[in-house]
Amino acid sequence: MIEIDLELALASYTLRVAARLEAGVTAVMGPSGAGKTSLLEAIAGLRRGARGRLALDGQLLLDSVNGLSLPPEARRVGYVPQDAGLFPHLTAHANVRFGARADASAVASAIATLEIDRLLERFPASLSGGEKQRVALARALATRPRLLLLDEPLAALDVGLRERILPYLLRVRDEWKTPVLYVTHNVGEALALSRRMLLLRDGRVEADGAPFELLAAPALASAAEPGVENLFSGRVRGHDLEGGVTILDLASGQGITVPLAAALTPGSAVTVAVRAEDVIVARRAPEGLSARNLFEVRILALARAGADVTLRCAPQGGEGTLEWIVRVTPSAAAALGLAVGQVVYLAVKSHSVRLM
Amino acid sequence: MILPLGVLAALALARYRGPGKGALETLLSLPLVLPPTAVGLVLLEALGRRSPLGGWLASHGLEVVFTWKAVVLAMAVMSFPLLVRSARTAFEEVDPRLVGLARTLGCGPLAAFRRVTLPLAWRGLLAGVVLAFSRALGEFGATVMIAGNIPGRTQTLALAIFHDNQLGRDDRALVLAGVTTALAFVALWTAEWFTRRRSRRIAA
Repeated sequence: MIEIDLELALASYTLRVAARLEAGVTAVMGPSGAGKTSLLEAIAGLRRGARGRLALDGQLLLDSVNGLSLPPEARRVGYVPQDAGLFPHLTAHANVRFGARADASAVASAIATLEIDRLLERFPASLSGGEKQRVALARALATRPRLLLLDEPLAALDVGLRERILPYLLRVRDEWKTPVLYVTHNVGEALALSRRMLLLRDGRVEADGAPFELLAAPALASAAEPGVENLFSGRVRGHDLEGGVTILDLASGQGITVPLAAALTPGSAVTVAVRAEDVIVARRAPEGLSARNLFEVRILALARAGADVTLRCAPQGGEGTLEWIVRVTPSAAAALGLAVGQVVYLAVKSHSVRLM
Repeated sequence: MILPLGVLAALALARYRGPGKGALETLLSLPLVLPPTAVGLVLLEALGRRSPLGGWLASHGLEVVFTWKAVVLAMAVMSFPLLVRSARTAFEEVDPRLVGLARTLGCGPLAAFRRVTLPLAWRGLLAGVVLAFSRALGEFGATVMIAGNIPGRTQTLALAIFHDNQLGRDDRALVLAGVTTALAFVALWTAEWFTRRRSRRIAA
């Protein structure tokens, strides 16, 4: 549990943020200059002049009324800036081990989670952008932080690389269970990773809620860029060599079919991504369709955002963990008469399901 | 000897953003532009037996003027600005966000300085030390004023060369000049070697 009630005077306005955050990922969005980075720095203890109250799991980090402000090294808050911020004079391994609290087992699991064992002897100057981000994430994790602050960790990467880092973020969220404050410009990433979103504008919280509910907010609609809205982890069930497909079991127990990836051994963990616009919606169970994946779902919410209608759906009667974000045109939504509560079928071609 | 002091002064100048910064900077750089004999004269007046400070030191058994301590003092005062200037540039080039990150990773201010700032500023510091050393090696004016030119006691290489030349012993002066050259060469070469090895590692 993170309690934030902060005030910080900046050059052109005063940042005022009050929020209580639970575990999991909280996305922080908003236009440039809205105070997102300043907010993270104030939480990390890197901004002098921050006033108010900050508490993490019941421990006060900042309580300016009583003159308390813990120095950054006493806060146990991990911070990963946009450019990774690796120490250039140290190898990747020395970077990961840098944290004073880093114990050997935490270092080893951080290295395993981010799959950087082959990069360890290299210096930051010889790492690619994505590799730097993974090393920086491992470095922060190795200190076993109580809260992880990620400042647009993917922004400096091109689209392809970005999508290859996302599974690592998913693992940090699900395996380390570290609460994360995640600054991003990408609505898709926010939908895929977070349960909660803070929308900042000019230093104030303009909106605060579930990412899906905020989709229609004007600030978000204008910031929208394509991303991968549906990100699921699963395991390889087996291969159908003749059919040219690989079948995966999703965490929900449902199966999903992807183009043959024979190199994967059955049982290994994988992440799959589906873009919201790559999902076909049907009112009745379609027949004679080439799409290999068909899911019966109920529409939980429906939002008009920008030029699109976005749906949030969950499997019929199944566990609610596997939610689908689907995007259709307003004309399709009208023709199908889509409404909340309705049961529809989602069809996804194998080729639209990407293994990450 | 001036290294810790110079590093502290450079740090203060690199971080401090208050009033008087400009005046302090100028004051520290003054020995660079003043004639060394003028600096020597000021030191002589300040530390001579007749001055309050010099008298106080003498009453505590510390004779400075015309001893080897005066040589050290003259060299320190004259080379200090060079060290401070390059050390300050070196510190200013270290990204303060990296220092902040080290703090979030559990380092106190001192540990962050030792493990991040110092290694990253190392090259500039070394350059400053070499510069300061060269300045000290060539120091003449201030030394001759405050320490005199007493053979075997306060005669530095630079003074000895002048002394021998004045006495017509050019062969001895030449040998001493050769020794000076060798010392300077070794110092510069060592510094160069260190920096090259380091930059190769970081760029690798």
